[in-house]
Amino acid sequence: MGFSTMLDIIGSIIIGGILMMITWRLSDAATAKTYNNSGELSLQQNLATVAQILEHDFRKIGYCSDWTKFPDPSKAILYADTSEILYVTDLDLDDNMDSIRYYLGPASELSGTPNPRDKVLYRVENNEIPKPSNLGVTRFNLVYFDASGDVIPSPVALPGLIASMEINVSVESVAAYDTAYSSAFWRQIRLVARNLRNR
Amino acid sequence: MIGKATLLLIVGFSLIFLVVSKNFGDVSNRAVDNFVDYYTQTVAHDIAISGANIAANNIFLDPTWNSGYDDVPFQGGYLDAQLQILDPFKNIREVTVQGTYYGSTSTVKVKFAPSKFSKFAYYSVSEGGTIWWTQSDTVWGPFHTQDYFRAHKHPVFFGKATTKKSLIYYTSEAADKPLFLGGYDQGIDLPLPTNAVAEMEAIADDDGLKFSGHDTVYITFAGDSLRYRYKYNTPDSSLYLPTAAPNGLIFAKNCIVRLKGTVKGQYTLGCSSGSSLAKGTVYLDNDIVFQTDPRIDPSSDDLLGICAENSVLITDNIPNRSDINIHASIYCEKGGFGAQKYDTRPISGNINLLGGIIQHTRKAVGTFGSSGIKSGFAKRYKYDDRLMVASPPFFPGTGGFEIVSWYE
Repeated sequence: MGFSTMLDIIGSIIIGGILMMITWRLSDAATAKTYNNSGELSLQQNLATVAQILEHDFRKIGYCSDWTKFPDPSKAILYADTSEILYVTDLDLDDNMDSIRYYLGPASELSGTPNPRDKVLYRVENNEIPKPSNLGVTRFNLVYFDASGDVIPSPVALPGLIASMEINVSVESVAAYDTAYSSAFWRQIRLVARNLRNR
Repeated sequence: MIGKATLLLIVGFSLIFLVVSKNFGDVSNRAVDNFVDYYTQTVAHDIAISGANIAANNIFLDPTWNSGYDDVPFQGGYLDAQLQILDPFKNIREVTVQGTYYGSTSTVKVKFAPSKFSKFAYYSVSEGGTIWWTQSDTVWGPFHTQDYFRAHKHPVFFGKATTKKSLIYYTSEAADKPLFLGGYDQGIDLPLPTNAVAEMEAIADDDGLKFSGHDTVYITFAGDSLRYRYKYNTPDSSLYLPTAAPNGLIFAKNCIVRLKGTVKGQYTLGCSSGSSLAKGTVYLDNDIVFQTDPRIDPSSDDLLGICAENSVLITDNIPNRSDINIHASIYCEKGGFGAQKYDTRPISGNINLLGGIIQHTRKAVGTFGSSGIKSGFAKRYKYDDRLMVASPPFFPGTGGFEIVSWYE
């Protein structure tokens, strides 16, 4: 084996090593990107889903398909706090009022997910078992305003004062490559449930 | 050999990069699609909401409006609106509006019902001077005044409160802001009719009971009967109300009515003045109450409207010296609700009102000093919640509709 052959082998090892390094780096980067991008996609889907569900439900506060059975919708909100709300609406359009409660569970409930901050957002219909949704919600914050647009301190002592509300939702990916969690934020600046203002 | 290997490497890596970048691109596109979908749905919903507001405005401006909208371009999309009369007798209407934006659709349904003045716990055209709603005042149902809304030390309004003018604080917002538990709006113009009581005559002629040609009519509700006389010291005559006033309207033309008794059923008493200031006034000579108190038995369907072209006054007499109980929605077209000789009569206890007061000008029921009541009555007004959905027969209406239900 001559010097030239040795040089070829050493050169091949170096070039091969470089190529392997590139491939390994590429694989690592691709995995990270795929993981994070997929996580972000899920995150955005989760956020859009949460937003649509909240808007769908909150817009119906105080609604009854037979208005004579609930003539004063200003009594529709029964309890209101920063991350919890209880109100009545006619969910299934059967002329009977149903109660809906939203609240955020503690972070410790989701110790099984890598993200230490995500929490379960619960939705409770009437007296049914709370339905949990693990959508990576890290913040579910409600701010209430009176008829003059002033903030009402929470928990709201007189829910009838509520004329509009601000909804803040933060969502993070439940798992992330190298703990680089993605986050997204949605805010409904003023949600006015129209039935609260009827009559 | 080296050339081939290089080519293969380049082609191999290119393929890998292509696949990876396509996947990344797909993920990004789907993420954008999410928000585009959310955006289109939001815009479609906004179009539907706008259409509902436009339709509502049309109905408020012209209660006969029923043409709707068909594919009207709006905010880059289209809106359609249809009006349907759900109940021709009660004149309940529903507008269904559909907003469409790039394939997304959203529907809003709004129900309208004729608006009656009887729904108010309190209504006034004039507050009768600079009178303040104070800390001790609580209004339990809808409130409206065409005058300034003067607040002192956080009065409480359980129903929706509106004013044509504006809110005036005695000292400052922090010290005086009212508690609006049913919402608050200002700039709402809701004038009182000028001839609603006089127009009741034709309805009474049709299928009601009418008294005319007398200066004074003494009327006593006695369950489902009505006793009446025209002189103080003559015996009563009696009528069975379901046959005497099948439509529920009792009308006293151009006279004074002196009223008391127990009401069974749903009736409205109208009293016109014939442009005489001395007529068109209803005096409450004693309690006028429901046979079945709805606070005790919620199934009670007893309702009473007292509609005077001028005023409704609590008579200064012995029965009214210790409280008076009134179950009625009181309507005073040109005057107000008050107590006769409010400033000279003795301290007379409480006015226990279950119903509402709709008046042109706020009147006094007593006088007060630092030690409390000096003459007349203290007010204990409670709103009859049933007036939110029901009204005494032919009670004056606002002439327009109100939104009673909004589905989106």
